[in-house]
Amino acid sequence: MKCSVRRKLELAAVAAIFTLACSHLAQAQTPSWCGPKKATLALLDGYGGNSWRQVTTASGKQEALKCPSITKYEYADGQGDTQKSISDIKAMAAKGIDALVVFPDAGPAMLPAITSVYKSGKVIVPYRVEAGGKAGANYTKFIGTDFKNDGANWGNWIKGVLPQGGNLLFLSGPAGNSQGLDELTGLKSVLGPEYKFLNPEPFDVTNWDPALTQKVLTAEIAKNNKIDVIVSDFGPSLVGALPLFKQSGRSIPALATSDGNSLGCFWTDVHGDNPDFKLFTVSTENDNVRLAVQWAVAAVTEGKAPQEEIFKGPVFENSVTGKPSPVQCRKDLPGQIYLSAQLSADDQAKAVNTK
Amino acid sequence: MNQAVDRTMVLPQLQQLFPVPHARSFVTVVISTLALILACLLFAPSSVTWGALSGSLPFAAIIAIVGLGQLLVVQQGGFDLSLAGGVSLAVVIATHYPQGDNALLLPAILIAIACAILAGLINGILVSFFRLNAIVATIGVNALLYGGVFAVSGGVPKTTTTLLAAIAGGQAFGLPNAVYFAFAALLAVSFLLKKSVAGRRFEAIGANPLATRAVGLRVQLHQLLAYVYAQLLYCLAGVLIAGITREPTAFQGDALLLPSVAVVVLGGTSLLGGRGFPISTVIAAFFLNQLSQFALTVGVPYSAQTIIQALALGFGIGVYSVRWTVNVIKQTNTNANGGKNEVLG
Repeated sequence: MKCSVRRKLELAAVAAIFTLACSHLAQAQTPSWCGPKKATLALLDGYGGNSWRQVTTASGKQEALKCPSITKYEYADGQGDTQKSISDIKAMAAKGIDALVVFPDAGPAMLPAITSVYKSGKVIVPYRVEAGGKAGANYTKFIGTDFKNDGANWGNWIKGVLPQGGNLLFLSGPAGNSQGLDELTGLKSVLGPEYKFLNPEPFDVTNWDPALTQKVLTAEIAKNNKIDVIVSDFGPSLVGALPLFKQSGRSIPALATSDGNSLGCFWTDVHGDNPDFKLFTVSTENDNVRLAVQWAVAAVTEGKAPQEEIFKGPVFENSVTGKPSPVQCRKDLPGQIYLSAQLSADDQAKAVNTK
Repeated sequence: MNQAVDRTMVLPQLQQLFPVPHARSFVTVVISTLALILACLLFAPSSVTWGALSGSLPFAAIIAIVGLGQLLVVQQGGFDLSLAGGVSLAVVIATHYPQGDNALLLPAILIAIACAILAGLINGILVSFFRLNAIVATIGVNALLYGGVFAVSGGVPKTTTTLLAAIAGGQAFGLPNAVYFAFAALLAVSFLLKKSVAGRRFEAIGANPLATRAVGLRVQLHQLLAYVYAQLLYCLAGVLIAGITREPTAFQGDALLLPSVAVVVLGGTSLLGGRGFPISTVIAAFFLNQLSQFALTVGVPYSAQTIIQALALGFGIGVYSVRWTVNVIKQTNTNANGGKNEVLG
């Protein structure tokens, strides 16, 4: 009996030491932006219906849960409906959520709802799409994306593969979208007049729709005998359209774009038959949400705010130099995942296969 | 007035040149298309090169197929707004169910066809038996179909199977395969509509449901079936889109609703129902598609492209509105010659 009491004491001591060690380890892993104050956080999407959003949502959740002070994480999808997006924001605030990270797809239409939530004392961090207004008056902080940086990255690569200049085709989404305009500014900040843009100013409109992209590219291929580089801010939408070059008896030209598993696999399959098909991608920027979550968590839990205030998408694949990474393809996983994202490929596959 | 008389003199001669019966709309749409091709040759020759055509013809084929579906409904005096949902549902079933596995493609297509028949039956029953307004009924069914799209896909696109990409996006004998599918759809619709007893009844019911009911035809059944045939054609178009675009969005049908109505109107079919013109509708699909390729090739701004298409549609409607008076005169003449264009089957 005496012996067993002693053993129990020993076990208790070991357990206590183990628990202490673990908690110390946990503290060491807690990021600096995670403060001690307990809080709840919600991620609100204006439109959650594509694989990019699903990977982004999963990334945002993963980032938020790195902070043990976040006791509850919620998500709402506005389904492309501005009214629903507005009521989602108000409902989350009314439910007592302390911090909101918002993708304001509808732009300035979302500002009144964002402002009212901010004025009621909540932390609210819009990201990626500008809703207007000012930090400190309408919201806590806006975390934008540096699309000019993407344009400049593409431009620098194009200068490397075509030092003498050449013919460029720039494709972006809906007419007049600010992302495309910023990317063009970035491209032009690097490329001189020896690089000729074949598309109508400022870019060929594709609505990021693969069918329209295919139609636009058909017309451009027919019109221009010499296209040296295609620049597009949504690479995977080109996968259906690029075989058009083969139909015209031409090699697929160099491509500067954003990454996607389907695009990487397409390059892997066809680059042997297309000597001019060099590929350069920047990250599709799913991790933009992580920076926004960090700011929101820092503000609500009284942690240390991150240093970065704008998200700069990193360069990802380069088929010419292989740096920072050669072209990636995971044939065993869905085409709609983004290997540039921090979230592991398998977790992404789970996120896009949930439905 | 003199002009109108002159045209009535000229048009029968034109009809002798084009032996398709009574298809003045056919002449109009062919002349418009030839004029467009001429304009392309003059201002944007590259848009009519073989490379450009082989890239754009699959999309013309898809517009033609959905146009034929819409045509059948319009013939019955209806209007099918569930086209967008029908096409999108076929797209997501054809891509999500197989998950890239070619072996599952056939079951996926069979499921898509079953869904199309179900959607068509719901539309048809609501419109023909419950007498709901076609626009209201099909908007409701469209919402249901989009519910299905979300249930299947969660709104997320998937890459199509290699087999479907080869079938729908490939080429045979120098022509894109989608064109053969459109041609087959045209043959089926034309033959059934113009040469079969059921087709003649179908057309007669569209022209005058009351009279045909008095004759003893099963008006409601034919009206119901129009929506089923239409959904089957939308399903075909959806499966083809899934193959052609490789990574289609889950909302691929949205962009097809307006063109489907446009080609029916440009093809000369009255929105009030009655006779349909399948061949003219298919040529109008080529016309509309080539028009957008023309605008793209000329390099006009996106806003101007949309305006050009709208003007073409306005022009199409305008042409047929102006011909109203001529129609009356022609109709009177033909009837005076024995009324040979009335076939009730």
